[in-house]
Amino acid sequence: MEVPLHDVDVLVPKNLTEALRILSERRDIRVLAGGTDLLVQLRSGAVSKSDLIDISRLQELRYIRHSDGYIAIGALTTYSDIAGSDIVRRYAPLLAEAAETVGSVQIMNKGTIGGNVINASPAADSLPPLYVLDAKLKLVSVDGTRAVGISDFYRGYKKLEIRPNELLAEVRLRAMGAGEVGHFFKHGLRQGDAISVVNGAVVLDLDGDKVVNAAIALGAVAPTVVRAPEAERVLKGKRLSEDVMWEASREVLKSISPIDDVRGSAAYRRELSVNYLYMTLWRLAREVGAL
Amino acid sequence: MGEFRFLLNGKVVTVKAPPCYTLLEVLRYVLRMTGTKEGCARGDCGECTVLLDGEPVHACLTVMTQVEGRSVTTIEGIDPQHPLVRAFVEAGAVQCGHCTPGLIISSYALLSRNPSPTEEEVREAIRGNLCRCTGYSKIVRAVLSAAGV
Ligand SMILES: Cc1cc2nc3c(=O)[nH]c(=O)nc-3n(C[C@H](O)[C@H](O)[C@H](O)COP(=O)(O)OP(=O)(O)OC[C@H]3O[C@@H](n4cnc5c(N)ncnc54)[C@H](O)[C@@H]3O)c2cc1C
Ligand code: FES
Ligand code: FES
Repeated sequence: MEVPLHDVDVLVPKNLTEALRILSERRDIRVLAGGTDLLVQLRSGAVSKSDLIDISRLQELRYIRHSDGYIAIGALTTYSDIAGSDIVRRYAPLLAEAAETVGSVQIMNKGTIGGNVINASPAADSLPPLYVLDAKLKLVSVDGTRAVGISDFYRGYKKLEIRPNELLAEVRLRAMGAGEVGHFFKHGLRQGDAISVVNGAVVLDLDGDKVVNAAIALGAVAPTVVRAPEAERVLKGKRLSEDVMWEASREVLKSISPIDDVRGSAAYRRELSVNYLYMTLWRLAREVGAL
Repeated sequence: MGEFRFLLNGKVVTVKAPPCYTLLEVLRYVLRMTGTKEGCARGDCGECTVLLDGEPVHACLTVMTQVEGRSVTTIEGIDPQHPLVRAFVEAGAVQCGHCTPGLIISSYALLSRNPSPTEEEVREAIRGNLCRCTGYSKIVRAVLSAAGV
């Protein structure tokens, strides 16, 4: 049975200051951004009914900027904004790749990066890129501003380091340097408009075909997105040969703890993780001429 | 109850509705404009696709506070003689017709942005519009033929 929402009040703040004041006064209220997760969850009864504060019109939280080796993305920036941004394409191309795979054009036009971060699905497609680019989340409230690193932000399945009166204002990423290459990967059950069965992101810092540094993150294979330090360690200091790439890909199993669910079994996810990591490394190796 | 003013197919309208009513509910139940269909009411089928400030979005996932002061185009705002509509009819891209308004809107947005798309680009643009009858081939052919490619 669908939960009727006719009695839900929606407050529309004129600016960020007013939004923060409302959030500090009303603990029983939920933030509405694009609504692509929240409205579905409210109607299905997955979350309890509450009044909403619609922040979707706050243009001051919708921007993409580049400075001092960082990219700053406002929480209300949509996937379409991200996929179409020259800054993201140049300094975090794997985030643009991820944004292009999210849902449909309709979802890309409305869904926001802030909503993806706070909804905290382990399969959220923006998260592996944020993990490999050491994202910092800027949280604001009437009490002030603080920044939390992405891996400290998720403490468990949908357990977040955010206070009830705080709003996510900005996601800040490291801009990729000249020697760095990377890709996002995603396995869905069909080609378009599919939730990830496994997804991930890889960034390699290369000196010729030698790996100076590697960052690997996978989603939908643990209660939160995870980094794969063992696999990263195998790659560091080595040349990108088939053997090294296979060894690194198998090491990813040490970082993941997938479950069986409607989209796939744990065993399937383990196999996908190894194979997708290998395919992504192989693709990068080909692109830089190491193979 | 709230009062919302927006541009609907080029005309200013004012409606009274609960603020968490969706644009889809307002179109169908308040304004009695039933061209925009409801399939799933959860973003999966694309039948409710409308243009919000020119961009395709799900009317079922858009509440009225997100529509206030903006411009909405529905299937009723597309000329029945538009080349895209004629191409759908001529290619046999319509069977039961439930998906058709959403598909026309999604393809209309694509062609406004990209007047001569590739087949791949057409398929990407309509990946969020499900059709259970046609098997998509004729739909893709209709969009390409309306574009003259
Ligand atoms: C058909 C369909 C397909 C989808 N496909 C994908 C997919 O392929 N990949 C994927 O990752 N996701 C997918 N999603 C999920 C969803 O679209 C994304 O997670 C999206 O980014 C959510 O953003 P939103 O702005 O719509 O969030 P909302 O639904 O508005 O909010 C989501 C949650 O975040 C909170 N919130 C939002 N913004 C803030 C903020 N700035 N500060 C504090 N709290 C905030 C809300 O209170 C709510 O709890 C899909 C959803 C649908 C319906
Ligand atoms: S009715 Fe809106 S997507 Fe199905
Ligand atoms: S024509 Fe019947 S669903 Fe498309």
